[in-house]
Amino acid sequence: MTDITENMNNNNAEIAVEPNAEAAAVESNTAQKSKDKKRSGKVNRIIGKVLIYLVLVLFALWILVPFSIVIFTSFKTADEANDPNFSFFPKDWTISGYKDVFTYTGGTEGMPVLLRGFINTLIIVIPPTLLGLFCSAMSAYAFAKLRFKGKNILFSFLLLTMMIPGTVMLTPSFMVYSIIGWVDTPLPLMIPGMFGAATCVFFMRQFYAGIPTSLIEAAKLDGMGYFKIFWKIMVPLSVPALFAQGILGFIGGYNDYFGPLLYLHDPQWYTLQIALNAFKGTYSRNVPAMMAGAVIALIPTLVIYVVAQKYFIEGIATSGMKL
Amino acid sequence: MYLDKVQAKKKKHADREGLTGFCLAFIPVLGFCLFGLIPMILAIGMAFMNIRGYSFEGATFVGFGNFKDVLNDSLFWKSIGNTLYMSVSAFINIVLALIVAFLLTKKIKGKKIFRTIYFIPYVCSVVAVTLMWMWIFNNRYGAVNMLIRHFGGEPVNWLNDSKWFIPILILMGVWSGTGYGIILYGAALTNVNSSLYEAAKVDGANSFKSFMHITVPAISPTTFYLLITGIIGALQEFARPQIISATGGPDNTGVTVVFYLYRRAFEYFEMGPASATAWLLAIFILILTVINFAVSKLWVNYD
Repeated sequence: MTDITENMNNNNAEIAVEPNAEAAAVESNTAQKSKDKKRSGKVNRIIGKVLIYLVLVLFALWILVPFSIVIFTSFKTADEANDPNFSFFPKDWTISGYKDVFTYTGGTEGMPVLLRGFINTLIIVIPPTLLGLFCSAMSAYAFAKLRFKGKNILFSFLLLTMMIPGTVMLTPSFMVYSIIGWVDTPLPLMIPGMFGAATCVFFMRQFYAGIPTSLIEAAKLDGMGYFKIFWKIMVPLSVPALFAQGILGFIGGYNDYFGPLLYLHDPQWYTLQIALNAFKGTYSRNVPAMMAGAVIALIPTLVIYVVAQKYFIEGIATSGMKL
Repeated sequence: MYLDKVQAKKKKHADREGLTGFCLAFIPVLGFCLFGLIPMILAIGMAFMNIRGYSFEGATFVGFGNFKDVLNDSLFWKSIGNTLYMSVSAFINIVLALIVAFLLTKKIKGKKIFRTIYFIPYVCSVVAVTLMWMWIFNNRYGAVNMLIRHFGGEPVNWLNDSKWFIPILILMGVWSGTGYGIILYGAALTNVNSSLYEAAKVDGANSFKSFMHITVPAISPTTFYLLITGIIGALQEFARPQIISATGGPDNTGVTVVFYLYRRAFEYFEMGPASATAWLLAIFILILTVINFAVSKLWVNYD
C-alpha cells in the first residue's frame, strides 16, 4: 500500500520536472538523472497499479468463489455432489435440484414448502415495513419541523431505545407474547414494527431538518394543515431517503432468522429462512436441492440490491445503519 | 381589540401545531413503550424470579439466585470465551475494510464493480450463507478438503473439531462483514481534506507517513463507530453457530452467550436464569462501551 502511493507521488513530481529538463535541451547530469527517474517511476507506477488490481481482484474472488461453488453445486446431480472427488463444474448439468426443491411439499398436501415460505415471508415483512416507514417518517417530520411540548424528552426517549441491546428484551417479550397468546402466530414479528423504528426516525429527522422551513411557512400561508404539509411536501421530497430505509427494512426482515425461530413453530407459518434451514435435514443426501434452495432464497435480495444499489449504499454510508 | 384577536389566533395556531406535532411524533414512542419499556421493566423483575414455563403464575422471588446459578455454570463462562474468540472477526474486518477502501480511492477502473461485489455478502441471508460455508467445509465432499487431498494433505473434520469451529466462524464473519466497513470507510476517506495531503507533501512526508498521520486520524471517528457496532454485534452472535449445529457444536464450542440464553429460555424453559444472563450480557456490553468511549478520547479525532 505504501509503495503504491509513494510511486504515485514520484510520478507526479516527474511530470513537474519533465518540461524544464526538455526545455534546457542539454545532455546535462540532471536531465539524465531525471530520465532514469522517469523510467523507474513509470515502471514503479505500473507495478503499483498491478498490485492494487491484484489485491482488489483477489478480494473480489474471495467473495465470489464461495457463491460460485453454491451455484455450480445446485446444477449437479445428487450423486455427483456426494462424490468425494469434488469437481468445481458439474459434469452433467441438471436442474433436478431446482425441480426437487420447488416440488417438495414436506409430506403434506398443498403448496411447496419453499413457495409457502416465500409467501409467508412477504406477508410478515411487507406490512410492517410500509406502515413502520410511514409512522417513522411522520414522527421524524414532527421532530424536525414542528414545535410541541415534550419534544426533547420524547426524542431522547426514542434515542434510548437504540442503546438497549436487543437480547435483553428476548425473554420478557416472549413472556408477554405468550401471555397474550401471540406465540405461534406471526403477530410478534409484525405488530411492533408497524409503530416505526427509532433508527429510521433518527435518519429521517436528519433528512427533514435539511429541508428549508420557509417551504413549510409558505404552505401554511396557502392554508395547508400540518399533516397535509407532510403528505404533499415532505414525503415527495424524501422519496429517495424513504426508499433507502424501506429497502433496508425489507431486506432485514426477509433475512431475519432469530425472530421466526422463536415465534413460529407451526410449519404452516414457516418463513423462507426457517424453511431453508430445515432443508439441512431434508436434503442431507440431496445437496444440489439444498443449494438450489439457498440460491432461490438469495435471488430476491440480490436483485433488489443490484437494482437499488445507489439508494442502498447511500442510506448506509450516511446513516451507518445496520440490517 | 384587534391585537387580542391576533394573539388569540396565534395561540390557537401554536396549540394546533403542538397537538399535531405531539400526535405525529408519538406513534414510534408508543410502540417503544408497549414493546420495549414494558418488557424491559419485566426483564428486571424476571431476573430475580423463579418462573415456571412462560407464565407468571406461581413465580417466586429468589433474589440473586438466578445470577448465582448462571455465574456458577461453567458453560456460561465457556460461552463468554467462545463469544470473545469469535469477535476477533470484528477487528479483522476493520483492518481489511480500511485497506480495501483505501485502495478503492486510487485512480483505477471498475471501482463501482469492485464495490458492488464487496458489499454482496451484507445483503445475503445468514441461513443461505451458512449452508454455503457448511458445504464448502463439509468433511467428506467439501471443496476445502478436496483441495487439501489434492495437495496430499490430511483432510480436516472442520465443523466437528472444536479446534477449528470458531476459526471458521471468524472466517465467515470476515467474509460477511467487511463490505459494511468498506462502504463506511469509503465515505469517510472521500471526506478527508485533500489540502492536508498537499501540505504534508510540501513538508516532505512520504505517503506512508501521510497515511498514518493524516488519513488514520481523519477517519478515526469511523473506526470508532465500526469498533463499537462491530463488538456489540459480535457479542450478540447467535444465528451462525446455531444454524451449523443446533446442539452447540463440538464440545459446546458453538455456544455463544446468546445461544446459552436461548438454550436456557427455550430449551430448558428457565426464564429466570435466561433473564439474568441477558442482564449480565447487557452490563458487559455497557462496560465495554463505556471503556471504549473513555479510551476513544485518546485516539479519536473529531476535527
